[in-house]
Amino acid sequence: MGLVGQVFDALLAIALVWLAWQATRAADLFRAVVSFIVFGLLMAVAWVRLEAPDIALAEAAIGAGATGALLLSALDRLAPRRGRSWARVWRADARTWVLWVPAVMALAGALTAAAWQLPAPGLGAVATGALEQSGVDHAVTAVLLNFRALDTLLEIGVLVLAAVAVWSMGPAPAASAPVMPSPTLPMLGRTLFPVFVLVAAYLLWRGSHAPGGAFPAGAVLGAGGILMLLAGAQPWIRSAEHGPWRAILSAGFAVMLFAAIVGALAGGAFFEYPAAIASHAILVLEVTAGMSIALLLFAVYLRGEPHPAADTDRQRC
Amino acid sequence: MTAGDAAVIVLVSLPHAAAIAGFVWPSRAVTVSLISAATLMAAALVAMHAVAGYGAWRHDVGGWEAPLGIGWTIDGVACALLLLTAAVGLAGSIHHAAARVRPSTAAHDPRYFWPLWLFLWGGLNALFVSADLFNIFVTLEFVTVASVGLIALSGRLAQAAAWRYLLATLFGSSVYLLGVALIYGRVAALDLPFLAQALPADLVGMTAASLVTIGLLLKGAVFPLHFWLPSAHARALPPVSAILSGVVVAAAFYLLARAWLGPFRELLTPAAGTALGLLGAGAVLWGGLLALLQRHLKRMIAYSTVSQLGFCMLLFPLAAAGATQLAWTGAMVVLLAHGLSKAACFLAAGVIVRHHRSGRVDALGGCQQGIGLAWFAFALAAASLVGLPPTGGFVGKWWLAQAAINSGAYPWLALLVAGTLLTAAYLWRVLEAAIRTGPPDEARRPAAIAAHREGAPATPSDRGMMIAALGLALGAVAVGAAAPPLAPVLSSAIGVTW
Repeated sequence: MGLVGQVFDALLAIALVWLAWQATRAADLFRAVVSFIVFGLLMAVAWVRLEAPDIALAEAAIGAGATGALLLSALDRLAPRRGRSWARVWRADARTWVLWVPAVMALAGALTAAAWQLPAPGLGAVATGALEQSGVDHAVTAVLLNFRALDTLLEIGVLVLAAVAVWSMGPAPAASAPVMPSPTLPMLGRTLFPVFVLVAAYLLWRGSHAPGGAFPAGAVLGAGGILMLLAGAQPWIRSAEHGPWRAILSAGFAVMLFAAIVGALAGGAFFEYPAAIASHAILVLEVTAGMSIALLLFAVYLRGEPHPAADTDRQRC
Repeated sequence: MTAGDAAVIVLVSLPHAAAIAGFVWPSRAVTVSLISAATLMAAALVAMHAVAGYGAWRHDVGGWEAPLGIGWTIDGVACALLLLTAAVGLAGSIHHAAARVRPSTAAHDPRYFWPLWLFLWGGLNALFVSADLFNIFVTLEFVTVASVGLIALSGRLAQAAAWRYLLATLFGSSVYLLGVALIYGRVAALDLPFLAQALPADLVGMTAASLVTIGLLLKGAVFPLHFWLPSAHARALPPVSAILSGVVVAAAFYLLARAWLGPFRELLTPAAGTALGLLGAGAVLWGGLLALLQRHLKRMIAYSTVSQLGFCMLLFPLAAAGATQLAWTGAMVVLLAHGLSKAACFLAAGVIVRHHRSGRVDALGGCQQGIGLAWFAFALAAASLVGLPPTGGFVGKWWLAQAAINSGAYPWLALLVAGTLLTAAYLWRVLEAAIRTGPPDEARRPAAIAAHREGAPATPSDRGMMIAALGLALGAVAVGAAAPPLAPVLSSAIGVTW
């Protein structure tokens, strides 16, 4: 790695801690959100340094992109409020300094000391050893969709659940896009969206033999959709009872649950794919899971139940 | 595939499938949910029967064995909690279907209740059978998001409580996950029975144990981390309060018990046990005192949850003192009896508050025509919470007391007695308010006065809700009769070292 790498890593670590502090304690909320977005981007760089490019992609798309957009649009809806001044932040929280900072420091100290002792064995070798029977050539995909498919099922379930919970809280606010002074944004959004689709498709295809797969692909596609919304596009998802969207949104989860049950009926254990069709089954699951993740991220971002049916008299963008 | 395996697969997958059906076809949500609820109850009984008949077993998900794949452990304790979830879930479903919340009363579509409710149920079932620390994290997230959605369903005030609950419990999840990451880094395994043999009691083990414990204490609302519970549980719809107080909080304790008597067994020194027990003591006394001071019925019941779970925490000091088996069965019976009776209390309270159109304890007197059954259910549940024989609460506390006597830990015995007296005091306040002649009309809201004078008779809707509450209360009593013969089943727990 060399000296340059070590200096870079040290700077990266210091910048991350500083940004985290800024994001939580900054006097001005807008500044806090921007710090958070930059934190996500630098975190993605850190994942690249740790040789985990797929996590870096997901971090950049979800941590910085989608979450940043959510925070900014939430900020847009908050009543304008004067931020706390730095002097107040330092003065007002006596309890923070006496109680919480020492407690967190002690825990962080123990955590660092413990992490220092870790031998870092991992299960990489075991996973690679079982790769041949898994139906795919890449260990991460094998873990996500075969060895630990139950986790993935439940994680997609959490996304469906989050979308249902967001919809249950009432109708979505009329305009999803914040008032943007910039006229270039809609054009930029339209130009960039095909690139997002292309990158997502590439990541999905790559998943069977290299870092990539359903989660990063879904995250990138979802972030692309959110960018379109920010650029002023009208959401096309509808919540009509007899419309297709409710079924489409739950499709990824439903297909995976179905595969698990078929596995149980054929092989004896929940999610036990018959070896002959494992690779095909995983391909189908990967594509539906990727599409589902993208749509669900998008559906959560609508911040409420979308209009039940497409109304024609509303002005289109 | 054996009948037991099939039952467990139904228990994990049916709620999710039904939730999706309820989301895609909202107009059929009630039918789908009621049928699924009955099926899930039957499946839980089949699983329990299989464990009682053939002993506990493992199910390797995907056919992959432990360090690589995720395992399910289906043992007596897991099945007992699956049964508890099924009972509360079935009663809550009947209660909510009977209540017929009308679309006009809420700003949003009330039919979203059903998918959220079933998802919560599925998440809990997946949690109880899971033997994998990371998989448990995912199920905890599932349970959290569903609970938050359900709490927020009952309007603006509840949304603030739901938000606080979300922040508290997400923080708990992150801390738990940090601990799990340390364990994985140390021994490259996440499987609880495997870790029970492999996790060393060194600095890494200790840090991981404290992180996992803090996370779960926050999720279980154990004193002093209970700040989020009272408003979240008191403001939700009655069936939501019932499952949150009866099962969701119990799930955190269940995981705590499995972790400390499994992987962290060597760390459970008398000092660590006493520390956990003192948290329990704080919960029993502080929660009981605040329950005594509450003016609103549902807030009183919510504080009582904080107090009652404190009794379960006595498992740790008593196990550290050597009386592991007796303390384990005692704490688990307390947990089950509390789950059933607390859920019964909330369901009954839902009917009572609806009848009197007020949740204030001092406004509950007077005419009780038509809701006698609800008061009967409440009284039965209260008897079990206090620990009167022959209820489940009595058997659980009796075993805990025996464990304290056998290990010579008399201070914990004193705590049991003091906590029981406190419980009796705050529950008696409510029952005494009910048999009073009724408050002067000025104490009521104008709308309630008219209804009160007429003496509203019971509607079929009320009857359905009261039967649901009564069923749970009778269940709490039945636990008392079923516990002694089922004690060996309850202490069949894979990965727990006695």
